[in-house]
Amino acid sequence: MEVDLSKITLRPFKLEDADDFLLFAGDDQVTNYLRWQTLSSKQEALDHIKDVCIPHPWRRSICIDNCSIGFISIFPFSGEEDRFKANVGYGVAVKYWGHGIATKALKMAVPQFFADFPDVVRLEAFIDAQNLGSQRVVEKTGFQKEGMLRKYAYMKGKLRDMFIYSFLSTDLPANP
Amino acid sequence: MEVTSVVQLDQTKAKDEYPNLSLRPLQVSDVDDFMVWASDEKVTRFCTWEPYTNKEDGLNYIKNIVVPHPWLRAICIDDRPVGAISVSANSGNDKCRGELGYVLAFKYWGKGIVTRAVMMVVETIFVEWPHLERLEALVDVENVGSQRVLEKAGFQREGVLRKYLIVKGRSRDRVMLSFLSTDYQS
Repeated sequence: MEVDLSKITLRPFKLEDADDFLLFAGDDQVTNYLRWQTLSSKQEALDHIKDVCIPHPWRRSICIDNCSIGFISIFPFSGEEDRFKANVGYGVAVKYWGHGIATKALKMAVPQFFADFPDVVRLEAFIDAQNLGSQRVVEKTGFQKEGMLRKYAYMKGKLRDMFIYSFLSTDLPANP
Repeated sequence: MEVTSVVQLDQTKAKDEYPNLSLRPLQVSDVDDFMVWASDEKVTRFCTWEPYTNKEDGLNYIKNIVVPHPWLRAICIDDRPVGAISVSANSGNDKCRGELGYVLAFKYWGKGIVTRAVMMVVETIFVEWPHLERLEALVDVENVGSQRVLEKAGFQREGVLRKYLIVKGRSRDRVMLSFLSTDYQS
């Protein structure tokens, strides 16, 4: 399958995306390193889009030909000390892995997010030590690896080592 | 970084060096001692909070934050509080993790007191909280003294988190250090 990366777009989710959403959100391989429970029905997909995706401060559908094949979420923290930081997460349908789509989408998302949230200075991503694919995505996007946090959190019931990566607003190229 | 070192705390030696150092709950009756360190801007320099300016605020802090705190102890010399040390608790998927914080009156700096207090916490917290796997501390990059305290106590430096917090209106880089329950061998 050839993928023309110039056809990748980002847009907010719509209820009409439910079937496509289920294709990736219903797949254990995609949700393996996410905190989400794998979805198992179109109703769950509809509920998730309505209750989580649409009210989310910044979640975008990754689209090819306007069809949803994945998501990017950037979630600003709340609280006086933390509100200038945001957490990054993403996932792409397995069928589309290996073409650089997540990297392309993340490279598009980062400057858009900083423009939408000018108070945020730090994006961070916590990536499972075993999730090599995702480590490559953030590294190619320009995130800096800051260290490995040992036994940092539980993910799907197992205690995980995680790499912490960051991208600061000052890391954005002057002329994008 | 490979974690292979195991900290063996030489408990007998440490007790001899600090025979009058103890940890106990901090109480409302300790407020005057509390104000000695809490009002000192040398002490609060790298803290997220401003120095206390009146005893009423100190009393409110002890009543509202200290008393219900999941784990906070006064660091005492001859049973008089000269500082405090605490471990925060998290819930859900983050329950394995607690954050260490401490503060010491300026007069007592440079004697290894906090290092000893940290070691005492490490000795007990994993036993008191069996669900705790990781004790972590986030130290300002410029706070070299505090980084040394933790390294001497056996914490591992994991990296520098850039612009991790806003402290007193400025973004600060913080060094992340951790001590795992498996790093400890009694």
